[in-house]
Amino acid sequence: MVISVKDGFKLIGVAVLTFCAVFVCTFFINFIIDAGSIKDLITEETTAIYNAQMASAKLCSVLAGGILSLIAVIMIFFYIRLYIDNHKCRLGILKAMGYSNIRIASGFLVFGLSVLAGTVIGFGAGFMVMPTVYEGLTIEGLPEIKITFHASLVFFLILLPTAVFSLLSWLYGAYSLRRPVLEMLRDKTEIVKRVKQGKAEKDRTFVKEMFFKNVSVKKAIAFLIAFAGFCVAAMVQMAVSMAELAPTVMAVIIFAIGAVLAFTTLFMAITSLINANVKNISIMKTFGYSIKECFMSVFAVYHIFAFAGFAVGTVYQYVLLSLVIKLFYKDVGVIPEYGFNVGAFFAVLAVFVVLYEAIMALCLLKMRKISIKEIMTEN
Amino acid sequence: MIIAENLYKSYKNGTVNVLNGISLAVNDGEFVVITGASGSGKSTLMSVLSGLERADSGKIMFGNSEITSMTEKQLTDFRRREVGFVFQQYYLLPHLSVDKNVRMGADLSSNGDYRKIIEEVGLSDKLKSKPYELSGGEQQRVSIARALAKNPHVLFLDEPTGALDEKTGRNVLDYISKLHTEKKFTMIMVTHNLNIADMSDKVINMNSGTIVNYSENASPKSAYAIGW
Repeated sequence: MVISVKDGFKLIGVAVLTFCAVFVCTFFINFIIDAGSIKDLITEETTAIYNAQMASAKLCSVLAGGILSLIAVIMIFFYIRLYIDNHKCRLGILKAMGYSNIRIASGFLVFGLSVLAGTVIGFGAGFMVMPTVYEGLTIEGLPEIKITFHASLVFFLILLPTAVFSLLSWLYGAYSLRRPVLEMLRDKTEIVKRVKQGKAEKDRTFVKEMFFKNVSVKKAIAFLIAFAGFCVAAMVQMAVSMAELAPTVMAVIIFAIGAVLAFTTLFMAITSLINANVKNISIMKTFGYSIKECFMSVFAVYHIFAFAGFAVGTVYQYVLLSLVIKLFYKDVGVIPEYGFNVGAFFAVLAVFVVLYEAIMALCLLKMRKISIKEIMTEN
Repeated sequence: MIIAENLYKSYKNGTVNVLNGISLAVNDGEFVVITGASGSGKSTLMSVLSGLERADSGKIMFGNSEITSMTEKQLTDFRRREVGFVFQQYYLLPHLSVDKNVRMGADLSSNGDYRKIIEEVGLSDKLKSKPYELSGGEQQRVSIARALAKNPHVLFLDEPTGALDEKTGRNVLDYISKLHTEKKFTMIMVTHNLNIADMSDKVINMNSGTIVNYSENASPKSAYAIGW
């Protein structure tokens, strides 16, 4: 109808997130199941290390799978809201013709296709790296664990997530379409968010007002940018910090996932932010606002979120790593010393600052290219 | 005074000629209407005159400044200082109140008195309203207030009544006309509506990128006296 199958494959952020979640879960869950087969061969001396290995594998799969899936749900909801905002006139016409919200939103079922693509590739990639991961996870003294294919994982890691995400998209789409038809039809070109009335307006300059209002109407973007900062701090910093505590393969995987997630999320959030502000920037430029002022009013505020996300991620990775070490070594014997890795913190922070500012510089270039005639040739 | 000499502009690598050697002069404080059929080049002429777009060749003098030789930064500064815009589709910022939308223009000229203009366009009771809560006529008045709040020397209007019904259109024109008389800025309006030409001092009629008729109006009419 309005939402095409092609649209279903456009949710790159969701595909990347589900890829990462399924990629990690595939080898960890497979390892947990396969390790069950050697349970009877475990001696009294190796029971503690076996239990610790299993506990950390479970924790990693629950954390990676759970958190990434949760973020994927938030991201898919974000996409749906964005899609409705960008196509509200066409969707409004369908509503005016008498189509129900549920009927129109059924088109959002195709959003599950991105999840399908992400999970299938993640599952395949998980199996491809499995021999290396098993090698890294197998501890001296424990019997060798052979890789076995478990068909049930296809259901739990591919089919079930695809079905759940499709269903969620459908229901959330129907929920989001509960807007008055006239509001959707009249406001064809602007993304209007109703702002709470009755609050006294502060006497801010226009640029400052835009600075604050941008966040209040685009909370999802603020969240995504904070999440990108969180990913860099939590995963990349953790990978660097754990280099001496865990198999290298684990550090490399966590590092790669963190970097991919952060980049994808940041790219998606910034692209959405630019697209949502093309007209605002265009009209500001028309009136004579400089590129710097346009940048200040649209992008500058998100620095706060990026670095707040980084701070939370730093604390998160430190606490998580401390917990995992305690859990892993509690029955094994001597707990290795682990303190906050100041060097890793500053190194990752420096890289993040450089990358973030580089992306912002690209935004400035993109803003320069926004034609001020765009608003006049529209309609 | 604005003087344009021999302006040429084309699109699509020179295959579509939009302006073909336009020359004109607009005196300070004048109200000039540019009319013509769709595709005649009137909106492009307005864009080029206001510094929104560059001409391929030709010269535009704004007083002593030649805007055709300005850099992008100088053009931005020129628009900031000299001109205001009113568009058919208003282009108000949807999540900002009437007050903040008008302040967008006012801040550019450090105009702390901008609420007076909101009062003058009859919207002082709608200061806190958002654009979607206003009628078409009210939104256009906000857009006029925004343009005038920056104290422009020249106001460019692109089909300002194009999206309005007759009654609202006349009211909006009346507001513009009164403010023009009071503040003495130059006004260049692009419109399909030939009747509006009766309100102006000068009428420029365009066709295929050239000026086909140029006339002066000795006795401009009021917004309520013209046909529609």
